[in-house]
Amino acid sequence: MQNLNSSIIRNPTILPRFSQLLSRDSSRDALRIMCILTFLLLVLPMNLQAQDTPDYFRQQCMNCHTIGGGKLTGPDLKDVTGRKDREWLVNFMMNPKSVIDSGDPYAAKLLEDAGGKTIMPLAYGMTKERAGKLLDLIEAESKLEKSQFKGLKISSEPFTPADISKGRDIFLGLSSLESKGTACISCHSMYDINALGGGRLGPDLTHVYERLKGRKSLSAWLVSPGTATMQPIFKNHPLQPKEIHSLVAYFEESANHNEKNKSGGLVAFFLAGLIGSTGLFFLLDYIWRRRFREVRKSVVEGASR
Amino acid sequence: MNIRSQVSMVFHLDKCIGCHTCSVACKNIWTDRKGTEYMWWNNVETKPGTGYPTKWEDQDKYKGGWEKKNGTIKIRSTGKARVVPNIFHNPHMPSMDDYYEPWTYDYKNLFNAPEGNDQPTARPISMVTGEYIDIEAGPNWDDDLSGSQIYAENDPNLDGLTEQQKAQLSSVEQLVFFYLPRICNHCLNPTCVASCPSGALYKRGEDGIVLIDQQRCRAWRSCVSACPYKKTYYNWFTGKSEKCILCFPRLETGQAPACFHSCVGRIRYLGVLLYDADKLEEVANLPDDELIEAQREMIMDPHDPKVIAEARKNGVHDSVIESAQNSPVYKFVKDWKVALPAHIEYRTLPMLFYVPPMSPVQATKEEDIIDHSTENLFHDIDSARIPMKFFANLFGAGNEGPVRYALAKQKAVRWLRRAQTVGDITAEMAARMLREADCTEEEAMEIYNLTSLCTFDDRFVIPPMHREEAIELMKEPHEHKQSVGFGFSASPRRGL
Repeated sequence: MQNLNSSIIRNPTILPRFSQLLSRDSSRDALRIMCILTFLLLVLPMNLQAQDTPDYFRQQCMNCHTIGGGKLTGPDLKDVTGRKDREWLVNFMMNPKSVIDSGDPYAAKLLEDAGGKTIMPLAYGMTKERAGKLLDLIEAESKLEKSQFKGLKISSEPFTPADISKGRDIFLGLSSLESKGTACISCHSMYDINALGGGRLGPDLTHVYERLKGRKSLSAWLVSPGTATMQPIFKNHPLQPKEIHSLVAYFEESANHNEKNKSGGLVAFFLAGLIGSTGLFFLLDYIWRRRFREVRKSVVEGASR
Repeated sequence: MNIRSQVSMVFHLDKCIGCHTCSVACKNIWTDRKGTEYMWWNNVETKPGTGYPTKWEDQDKYKGGWEKKNGTIKIRSTGKARVVPNIFHNPHMPSMDDYYEPWTYDYKNLFNAPEGNDQPTARPISMVTGEYIDIEAGPNWDDDLSGSQIYAENDPNLDGLTEQQKAQLSSVEQLVFFYLPRICNHCLNPTCVASCPSGALYKRGEDGIVLIDQQRCRAWRSCVSACPYKKTYYNWFTGKSEKCILCFPRLETGQAPACFHSCVGRIRYLGVLLYDADKLEEVANLPDDELIEAQREMIMDPHDPKVIAEARKNGVHDSVIESAQNSPVYKFVKDWKVALPAHIEYRTLPMLFYVPPMSPVQATKEEDIIDHSTENLFHDIDSARIPMKFFANLFGAGNEGPVRYALAKQKAVRWLRRAQTVGDITAEMAARMLREADCTEEEAMEIYNLTSLCTFDDRFVIPPMHREEAIELMKEPHEHKQSVGFGFSASPRRGL
């Protein structure tokens, strides 16, 4: 609903129509309201495009890049327009993979810097126009002493056990997120979650610390999670710096453990379901033990005994 | 007083020979359509036996009829709260196996079989699946003792009999059975009508015939489980329930219902009764042992001027009142008290009454010599082969009193006729018997005449139905007359 509300407020063409509808108290308009709500649901994805460039940068780029904050998964973009010409940059942003595949030497170097495996994904809703705007933004921000996209400042001190346990609480949803975001366990699993395990939509996060190459890039990821699934979930419920700190502490600690044996979990899940449903079957059979059964057959069977 | 008229019936079981002509007549007229193969609106059962559907009298299983709870009566099978949790499945319904899987025979094979060393046979084919089947049960599996060791022993009416009595029922030279033809009872307090969530069932105001509106029926099948006599049936093809309509199109044209008309033993009587509908609730709530007498009290004297005046006030036509005055049913039920309702303890107040049958005399067996002779030819009723308790369970709501009364009167009539025609019984003896049976000689002769010498018009006193009066309210009668006939004028459709 929050998504809906914000899109209504942002989209000035919808607002007057909606208020018009509300001002009429006829119940016949229920159908029209339904129609408009359906329409809103349809245009919601488009709203991602409608936002302005800094927001776009924050959501799409900041999980790998900073401006003057140093290298994360991707390079620091400060003065990137000085390193390569605009045409090349726009071309790369529009389709990173094909530029790398074409054997461009600079692109190959970038790939190597990023660990040789992580290819920059094509950002959602990237257009030529948008790429140009982004480069304008990067150019402007590069000139500032302290860019708003410098990224989170992460202390290099070792985390305390209190941080770790707080992070775990956040992961499990035991302490709710300040901006009412969804707890991690809804979609992710972890080495120390027992019983039926965490959610299975997202990956197991036990070794996420290693996968995302340490504190800094992990924190950057958490500032604005970049996958198509996580983005809409956290877009309007960003994690707070304190929460990111605790979560990173928990993830760093978890990296020392082995991932949960997934197949074992599945078997346990299946068995629990099987035993549970069989138990339920017998329970219902007991509750309705006096239910109607075929009369003639029982008469005939009773007689042959 | 709230006087209404009801077309009622008497079946004289002492005359029933169990020929099933009634069932066949009904089948041919009404239930030879697709989806009705298993239905027998009229069926004849052998008693002791489990009947059709199997053990229909066992209401612990089928939950039919009313039950007395907290001083009032409730439908046993359903209720407002119970409709919702059972919305997708109505429990306590007889399965197809409890009726029987209808079948025909592969007659074509008799003609088309390739030449071989054996006679071709016509194997039974299921009328539901079209596959060859092994027949395991039929609508009258009890008949002539087929499988009686399995079925007859399970007759719910055997409750309360001693083990010795039960053993006797099936032992050689003691064995006994009689026939019980059954149609819809067109009850005064029908559970089927009360249970229908769609309001599709109704009791016709002018003659009390209980009908199912084929347009309104929504296949809930509440009536199927609610009817304690299991006389509403679900048509799987049209998706509607159906039941005996007492051949109302025949009645409306002055003809007796098909099963009545075709009865070989002439056991069936039909006539109008006038009853006081104001007493209905009170009577249905009485204790079991008062029900029979209370139902008789509800049936009013059609000669009483007060009753006639009240009936007129309720729109009962003079011709119907006149018909009620000649009703043979009134004589059997009210005047002579020899006809009794079956299982009135279900509290539906059935309007089909049975004259309980006499049964053969018990034999004694001494040192392998079986002796059938008794002190008197018309043996004592209590030593009849069918135990009085069995009749009491079937016709007396557990009480032997009303049944013994009805049987004693029949016996007294026989004694009187024996004294008059054969002469081996003295007139004094016959007179004593009549006194003991609470019967006068005139009454005995009337019973004799209506039982043995009855003509077609004696048995069926069909009231003028005055349909034109009912139709006038909505349609032009002459126009209506041209647009109706047998069968469906608008075929029923599934769903809404």
